[in-house]
Amino acid sequence: MSELERLQDTMMRYLLQPDADNEADCLQWVDDQHGLAAPQRLHIYANAYKARLREVIDTDHEMLGLYLGDELFEQMVSGYLAAYQSPYTSLRQYCDRLPEFLRQDSFFSQYPILSDLAGFERRLFDAFDAAESDRVPVNALEGIAANHWPILKVRFHPSVQLCQFQSNAVESWQALKHNQEPPAPRLGESRYWLLWRNQERVTEFSSLQYWQYRLMAGFLNGDDLSQQCELLLDTFDENETPGQVFAALQAWLEMGIISHFS
Amino acid sequence: MQPSDATSETLLSPYLGFGLGLRTPHYEQVLQEQPDVDWFEVLSENYMVAGGKPRYYLEAIGERYPLVMHGVSMSIGSTDPLNMEYLRSLKALANAVNPRWISDHICWTSIHGVNSHDLLPLPYTWETVRHVAERVKQVQDFLGRRILLENVSSYLSYRNSEMNEWEFLNAVCDEADCLILLDVNNIYVSARNHGFDPLDYLNVVNPLRVQQIHLAGHSDYGDYVIDTHDHDVPDAVWDLYRETLKRLGPVSSMIERDGNIPTFDELYNELGQARTIADDVLGIDAIPASKRHVFGAAQQAVQEVARV
Ligand SMILES: [Fe+2]
Repeated sequence: MSELERLQDTMMRYLLQPDADNEADCLQWVDDQHGLAAPQRLHIYANAYKARLREVIDTDHEMLGLYLGDELFEQMVSGYLAAYQSPYTSLRQYCDRLPEFLRQDSFFSQYPILSDLAGFERRLFDAFDAAESDRVPVNALEGIAANHWPILKVRFHPSVQLCQFQSNAVESWQALKHNQEPPAPRLGESRYWLLWRNQERVTEFSSLQYWQYRLMAGFLNGDDLSQQCELLLDTFDENETPGQVFAALQAWLEMGIISHFS
Repeated sequence: MQPSDATSETLLSPYLGFGLGLRTPHYEQVLQEQPDVDWFEVLSENYMVAGGKPRYYLEAIGERYPLVMHGVSMSIGSTDPLNMEYLRSLKALANAVNPRWISDHICWTSIHGVNSHDLLPLPYTWETVRHVAERVKQVQDFLGRRILLENVSSYLSYRNSEMNEWEFLNAVCDEADCLILLDVNNIYVSARNHGFDPLDYLNVVNPLRVQQIHLAGHSDYGDYVIDTHDHDVPDAVWDLYRETLKRLGPVSSMIERDGNIPTFDELYNELGQARTIADDVLGIDAIPASKRHVFGAAQQAVQEVARV
């Protein structure tokens, strides 16, 4: 290890864990100067490291923070910082593993809604800055030839995100967003959500019924319309299915979330 | 290694005048009102995303104003291998933005693949000079252009340092043939924290390599000063800016506000103070903004002559 690498290694170990041993190791490198004592100079860096990452969690997960309250939020910050260093060049990604942390941490995993809340907030970011693409015009279904319908495939706008939660996390998020008391946590029942970015680049979301979720998931998977209709026979009868699918496609066109038919 | 006059003429890009750091809350106003700001600096990492509002506004504002790119994650002083994935994203962004120049900081931010997201100081040794300069050359080869390195605020110095910060900065930039982004606030902050005279810095920094100036505010705790970039530019920094221009002549200058973002109009007014000081020191700000690009063009013509 070169001298420079040893210095950087020592400093980084201290920033990640500013305990007495790591501080003592750092002090071997740090000059004694007039004014502030060397340990205090190091503390400025240790504090800045923690404050910066804490602020990212606070800003990126505002509703989760409100849901937790100050004390539990600080507990989550300390836990997440200790568990996850940043391999990222942008702070945009730093909280990507927060849902995973909340699912696995022995304390926070007792409250599964927390992981769902964090996951929902991550998906909002994903919709916010996903790639742009064309959007098929609302009257596009008129131009599809009858014999093409069975093999029709749909490509969605890159901002489209499908979520499945086992809690009322999104309902709680909405309440907090409107400065209201969140409902009591309800667990165990699957809820399905669609998130996307509209033409005005505003992120939107809406709840889905299970069949709608399956239909979108199927198209995202590359399945064609005939495969999808077969799948829906356990929900609708044979005569109902085409009408329901057609209505769903028309709704997606109006939302501007279809970028391509093939 | 002092470059000859002929070489030095060709080092710097044309003068851009007075700019601002582009910040999210101001996107819509900038686009709608097209204020009389000569150029904008954008934070590279904020736009290394696939699409959405950041890329939309970047493109729209880039059609109306000259842009420069400023990054924080190159970690040019790290002993890790250069992060090629990052550099590829940076280059792709530069291809889309067509910035007048690209800058980062003379510091290290990451080691063993872990990012501190802080601009950590380097020891000012000859080993570090060679190490950083070698990496800057690789980056410049990869990007196909010179980069600017910005001096950072620091709160500690290392026992093994062999020179002053300004000697270190000059040595790296001469060795790597790169340019300087001089943050006048950071000089002030470091001077207070280390007890040096900021004029010593300004007297020695190589004027032929300073392409851009940052102006910003800080938090003063009496015993020490923290570079927060979340306050107005204080008088002490304005005074130092005046001294900077006396020594360097016209340098593209901007206000860099990172936290506690005020209204666009407040920042615009603050930029007026920079224009006033430049006018006072150099007389060039008497040239209206619309004509100032002519000044840039004239400077470019001089450079082209020098190249011949
Ligand atoms: Fe700066």
